[in-house]
Amino acid sequence: MTATSKIEPVLDVSNLTTSFRIGGEWYPAVRGISFSLQPNETLALVGESGCGKSMTALSVLGLVPKANGRVEADHIRFEGKDLSRLPDEEMRKIRGNGISMIFQEPMTSLNPVLPVGFQVVEALRYHQNLSRAGRERRALELLDLVKIPSAKSRFKEYPHQFSGGMRQRVMIAMALACRPKVILADEPTTALDVTIQAQILSLLNELKAETDMSMIFITHNLGVVAALADRVAVMYAGDIVEIAGVGDLFARPTHPYTEALLRSVPRSDRDTKTLYSIPGAVPPLTRMPKGCRFTARCELAVDICRKQNPPLDALAAGDAHSVRCWVRGNHDRAALKENADV
Amino acid sequence: MTETVDVLPEHSRHPFIDQLQKAFRNNKLTGVGAVLFLFIIIIAIAAPLLAPHDPLQQHIIARLKGPSAEYWFGTDAYGRDILSRLLYGARVSLLISLTAIGSAMIIGSIIGIIAGYFGGMIDLLLMQVMDVLLAFPALILGLIVVAMLGPSMENLVIAIALTAIPPFARTARAPTIAVKERDYIEACRALGFGHPRIILKHVFPNVFSEILVMGSLWLATAIRVEASLSFIGLGVKPPTASWGGMIREGFENILDNVWLSVCPSMAILLVVFSLNLLGDGLRDAIDPKTRSDS
Amino acid sequence: MSEPLLRVSNLKKFFKVRRGFPNPETVIVRALDGISFIVQRGQAFALVGESGCGKSTAGRTILRLLEPDEGSIEFDGQDVVNADAKQMRALRKRAQIIFQDPFSSLNPRMRVGNALAEPLLVHGLMSKKEANERVRDLLEEVGLPRDAGIRFPHEFSGGQRQRLGIARALTLNPELIIADEPVSALDVSIQSQILTLLRDLQQRLNLSFIFISHDLGVVRYFCQVMAVMYLGKIIEKGPVPKIFDEPLHPYTVMLRDASPVPDPTARKAFERIEGEVPSAVNPPSGCHFHPRCPHVMDVCRKVYPEWIDVDAQRSVACHLYTEGRGGLPVAEAG
Repeated sequence: MTATSKIEPVLDVSNLTTSFRIGGEWYPAVRGISFSLQPNETLALVGESGCGKSMTALSVLGLVPKANGRVEADHIRFEGKDLSRLPDEEMRKIRGNGISMIFQEPMTSLNPVLPVGFQVVEALRYHQNLSRAGRERRALELLDLVKIPSAKSRFKEYPHQFSGGMRQRVMIAMALACRPKVILADEPTTALDVTIQAQILSLLNELKAETDMSMIFITHNLGVVAALADRVAVMYAGDIVEIAGVGDLFARPTHPYTEALLRSVPRSDRDTKTLYSIPGAVPPLTRMPKGCRFTARCELAVDICRKQNPPLDALAAGDAHSVRCWVRGNHDRAALKENADV
Repeated sequence: MTETVDVLPEHSRHPFIDQLQKAFRNNKLTGVGAVLFLFIIIIAIAAPLLAPHDPLQQHIIARLKGPSAEYWFGTDAYGRDILSRLLYGARVSLLISLTAIGSAMIIGSIIGIIAGYFGGMIDLLLMQVMDVLLAFPALILGLIVVAMLGPSMENLVIAIALTAIPPFARTARAPTIAVKERDYIEACRALGFGHPRIILKHVFPNVFSEILVMGSLWLATAIRVEASLSFIGLGVKPPTASWGGMIREGFENILDNVWLSVCPSMAILLVVFSLNLLGDGLRDAIDPKTRSDS
Repeated sequence: MSEPLLRVSNLKKFFKVRRGFPNPETVIVRALDGISFIVQRGQAFALVGESGCGKSTAGRTILRLLEPDEGSIEFDGQDVVNADAKQMRALRKRAQIIFQDPFSSLNPRMRVGNALAEPLLVHGLMSKKEANERVRDLLEEVGLPRDAGIRFPHEFSGGQRQRLGIARALTLNPELIIADEPVSALDVSIQSQILTLLRDLQQRLNLSFIFISHDLGVVRYFCQVMAVMYLGKIIEKGPVPKIFDEPLHPYTVMLRDASPVPDPTARKAFERIEGEVPSAVNPPSGCHFHPRCPHVMDVCRKVYPEWIDVDAQRSVACHLYTEGRGGLPVAEAG
């Protein structure tokens, strides 16, 4: 999929499918996606609601509810282990330790009745072998690291005494507590005001520069993607439809959906005379069309698009830019039959 | 430019019907409760047709008999047929409870919705009054009212209704406050609608299901209160059959004929049980936490 | 220039908040602290700011969904603040509101056709039959099928519900629409559909808008004039292109710089973005923005700046522009 490199990826996801049971039938919310995450890389998963981007993160962490959810994958490789086949007990040790997550809602992710500092200490307790004093020292370091002003005096304050931005900083501190290799950030700035969003984004960029962590950043905001991603995967209705380096993707959006999305965003840095509108809406999970799922909204759609889902192929041999499109992609037409859609 | 609307379903049902359907589909016991309660109502209505004897006809010779082919559940101290009295008693108990809860529901909802909708001093005043009423246990309040007005069917209805108004007011007020904050109420005001219209057409339909659940659960309470008051002689005057009265009469002769108090007790148990099943099922279905829309 | 459609002067709205335990004290929050602006006919006027700046309160106070505490609102020359019930009813037909949350803006227990016909019937404008026909036209106007009226709100998607909210606002043929973050709860592709629809309606029906938003991209696309709010006050106002090209107030500069742009080549370090919006309960002395301002001077900590008309169209409340000072350093304004 991506350019072959000698460096071992920290996280390698292959053919991940996450299905949900609705009314007795299984429907894939994520269908057969593959990607890898290089050391110290920020990969953005972009897409609109229902595209499967959050589900991808939850699947990697094994947090998809088992009652009506099902995760299948060839492998989800992390530090030599296959997370898709790990028992729950083992998985719990990885969560928050090797891979940790930051959520969208800083208001509900913290326990309102416990002091903030205590919650960071708590995050350390499970995973690190530190004395009590050591844990407190480390927690304070973390709060300083995420630039909470006068962290020492605010250590004993409760979440409601923190603003939304400060709470999100605490969440980041907790995610960083055990020096994870990978951080999964699910829309961490969506609930925040723009000036606070900018501060959080620059904090994340700094943390990435200072440590060797990798990050999967989930967002619907293309501006945010441009501000911090190294590589971008655009998702639509459970598929990765395009994946490329950030510069390449914005300079050369190739999948019709990516292109349309970029033309639909009104920009603050230049005048937009007319705004492009993608007609229609994402089809619901229970009524996904056969073939390419974007067909109904695509201006370029041809016959084959309605019949078979195109493969995600590199634009040129060895190119890190891959696209899932019959019209725009670079496909060996002879391979069509083998890739027949189920 | 147009968004395709192919995702709309083919038919369109009122969300309230959906909730009811959900209540019965998700929990089979809701249906059991509903059927049971309906069955009891039908029996009560059809009592004159079903009863094998006149419930007031005394047969002194056949007093305190056990079950037999003639008297299925036996006879009481005056030789009256217990089964017939049970059937007629159901009419009295249900009539009193339904009227009382029906009026409490209407009055309580009006008070609660007005208090919640207007807020401020109106809310404070109305809810203070409700809180005072709420401070009395249902039975004590009923006792006071009946003692003051004298035992009769009408006064029993007033007594029970009075005890049930405050909980209905509370039940209606809470969702009203939540609904009031919704944008569609603000849109109504922006469109120049008057308060009566907003309350009737936009607030009430959205708090109704909560009130209905409360109604089914309180109906069970009303039946118990009615029986309790009749048991201590403050209910329907003898010789009219009522379940509470029958239990008391049976109590006096419990050593001679157990059936006398067991039968009406079982009847009360059955009604209360069916209403609780129904109410619980409805409550689960409309619980805002599990509700999909709004 | 003709008489403006809306003239708001020195509008104030205070909220009383009781807080503290066990001895609660009443604190006054100055949600709107004397804002003034003018909206011309056919114009889209933006109120921009971060959460808690009072922009939504402003929208609701102008419609008297909240009663103003001070100041005046003139709609087409008519006094709104002192209008009696009858005058208010007439005014309600002329100014409407659309909301941010499409899931809270429609009565879930009412068929959407009835909800759209209701205002027409309440105001006695049409017979039931005419109203039904008008509803079908309205549905079509906002891009929904003509027979969608028999459905209930939960059968529609977020974008479709937003269209229904717009249709409802249009029922009485208003001249002014207050749009409170109408697209910020929507996905990008739906957002552009709604924006396109709104602009189309604006042009066809010659509507005026007060467009409340935190998204500068959306404002730049949709509006002609804008005012930036910070803690209950307007700190800068003027034509949209000018404010984007050359913002005057340091806060406007900060907002613009913080807005993410879908262009990785323009990636920046967000350097000068400091601090957070303080609580409106206890705003900073002097200029409310001074604790976050990179150009803070002594006077800023003591005195709230006067309005300064920089040119015929633009004004700003900032000490940098009082006599003898040249405004922002050139490098930053660019």
